[in-house]
Amino acid sequence: MPKRIAWLVLLAAISAICCCGPRKDAVVFSVGGAPAELAFWEELIQDFEKQSGIPVELLRQPTDTDQRRQGLVVALSAGKSNPDVFLLDVAWLGLFTASEWLEPLGSDIDQSPFFARVLQLADIYQGKLTALPVYLDGGLLYYRKDLFEQFDLPGPPRTWEELLSHARTVQSKMRKINPDFYGFVWQGAQYEGLICNFLEFAGSNGGFINQENRICLNTPENRRALAFMHDLIWTHGISPPSTYTEMKEEETRTYFQAGNALFERNWPYAWALHQGPESEVRGKIAVAPLPALHDGESVSTLGGWHIGISKFSDVRPKALKLVEFITSYETQKKLLLHLGWNPGRKDLYSDPEVLEVAPHLRQLRAVFQNARPRPILPYYTQISEIVQPRINGVLAGKYAPEEALAAAEQEIAALLERYGTR
Amino acid sequence: MKTERLKKPLFHLPGNLARMPALDSERWIAFGFMVPLLLFVVLFILIPVLGTLVDSFSLDVTYLPKRFLGLENYDWLLRDPGFWQSVRFTCLFVVVSVPLEIALGLMIALVLNEQLPMRGLLRACVLIPWAIPAAVSGRVFELIYNYSFGAANYLFRVLHLTDGPVNWLGSEAGAFLALVVADSWKTTPFAAIILLAGLSSIPDDLYRQAKVDRATFIQRFTRITLPLLKPVLIVTLLFRTIDALRVFDVIYVLTGGGPGGTTTSLSLFGYHYFSAGDFGYGSAASVILFLLAFALSIIYIRLGHFEQEVA
Repeated sequence: MPKRIAWLVLLAAISAICCCGPRKDAVVFSVGGAPAELAFWEELIQDFEKQSGIPVELLRQPTDTDQRRQGLVVALSAGKSNPDVFLLDVAWLGLFTASEWLEPLGSDIDQSPFFARVLQLADIYQGKLTALPVYLDGGLLYYRKDLFEQFDLPGPPRTWEELLSHARTVQSKMRKINPDFYGFVWQGAQYEGLICNFLEFAGSNGGFINQENRICLNTPENRRALAFMHDLIWTHGISPPSTYTEMKEEETRTYFQAGNALFERNWPYAWALHQGPESEVRGKIAVAPLPALHDGESVSTLGGWHIGISKFSDVRPKALKLVEFITSYETQKKLLLHLGWNPGRKDLYSDPEVLEVAPHLRQLRAVFQNARPRPILPYYTQISEIVQPRINGVLAGKYAPEEALAAAEQEIAALLERYGTR
Repeated sequence: MKTERLKKPLFHLPGNLARMPALDSERWIAFGFMVPLLLFVVLFILIPVLGTLVDSFSLDVTYLPKRFLGLENYDWLLRDPGFWQSVRFTCLFVVVSVPLEIALGLMIALVLNEQLPMRGLLRACVLIPWAIPAAVSGRVFELIYNYSFGAANYLFRVLHLTDGPVNWLGSEAGAFLALVVADSWKTTPFAAIILLAGLSSIPDDLYRQAKVDRATFIQRFTRITLPLLKPVLIVTLLFRTIDALRVFDVIYVLTGGGPGGTTTSLSLFGYHYFSAGDFGYGSAASVILFLLAFALSIIYIRLGHFEQEVA
């Protein structure tokens, strides 16, 4: 008897393995995110299947960006035909295009409704359109409107110095009633978000400077930015000590949302959550472009997700239909209204119905038009992994800015030499 | 006292095949039963390990043409400050966490070996941390160490031990110790259970005799328990050392390698390159980790062999 059961189990296992593979004619679409986001993708996919008659299989990925990249890198470097269509973070585009994993989308696609600068910087590779933006992101400054009125401050700060002085004034007064209150929260933990923050502090003349296959980092602008970031925590004390150990997007968001900070640097997604029914700061906040250095202009790091088709896809024409559907005006509008995703199409930023629900899109349009991407290089991830611990080490007081930048520059040079890029 | 080497080593290395008698039918059947396991070992262990070794000799980056490099990856590794940082951290982690876990595990095992009420229940409870996935226990410790609402800071505030909250993961030493504590909490039970199995195999007669001879508790422990437990202790050490060498999940969750990259373990270092699509360099780092674990295993096995001489 037990033997028979064992056989049955074995049979069941084999048949389960055989039946689980995706249907051959389906477009496999790989997408990750929070449960609510995945549920909405399911809905969208059903609409598409009804409209077009093309079956689509949703391949669920985790929320974590690094894990999503890793999953795609493994499948694509093995030349697998699945997934056919996937979402890519803007920071990976350099790697995916240089690895020749993306099928050009063809010249039939009308590029005019999209932000031309974003396409030029991120999606067009060797003159060919290889991806389209689905969701745009850029760093923003959130601030407490109510506290600004209470302490009689003028409008949002235009320079980092102004931000510092506002934050100090309000923090010293608020501490009497709230010991957890800090002037300014931002992302300083050792992860990709730290690079995005650093580039914004470094301003329009700082950041990674790509000169003839050499990456310069140890510049006066970058040293000044790092010293300023360090001082925000240690000298001025307007950012909590946990900035460099814990603060990622969600930690920053919950800190600000609990009413414990005057300013917050975050991506646009925080807006809808700050204005949600359970938020302590509902109706008390406003957004502004990030401050600039007193002699420069405001910089916002470009983030967001793009959509592309795999070179190894065996259902390319159908896959293209899916891409067209997802980047269409109607779908982008739905993504905005349901998930608060800022559309990759600029024509939506003047849709009256959209502006009524999301008035902050007016400011965002300007932010996206000037947002700066991280360097679009195939080895960007490696560079980022080298720089993250160095910058984080400055925030922790382990290195001086100059020391950290010089060391990072040297390690990057070694990496490029190893790749034979120099 | 003259000692004589026992013929039986603690670990059986592959015997001399030539001297084996011809395979009769019974042996064939026995061999047949082993085939699935051998296949498993070859498919899932031997081939991937060899694949990693081969990969470590080449430039294997997704966007560059693959080419053979020989030992060049290793040469670059030895000049990479990030690599040395991770080697230092990993070794220090092993040296601090393994003895701590074994010592605590031995203490727990000694207690559980006594005739206590509800001994079975206690033994099961001790195993709970070991049963929790490392990523989950990492998250739990993240909540304990959290700066603004963590349990540790709450406790310190209630007991008036510090002026303000402590940033536990904020300094190199703090983050290191926090990781050791989190890892020990999870893996001490494993050491305890293996050592407990070893303890229960020591005959009670020996202790009774020792008591007749008026041996103190300490004497009984050092003269009976420790020598008889040594083979099991060494196996536990071996398991724990290899496990601690490849520490990954608790760090990935708790510090992400920070602050300033000071808690990046060798496996996290390799992972960064794998996930960025640089398979050759990541493989080279993994091979070094493998060699380190292999060398330590050999040392332990020798140690185990040596202990058998006291007959």
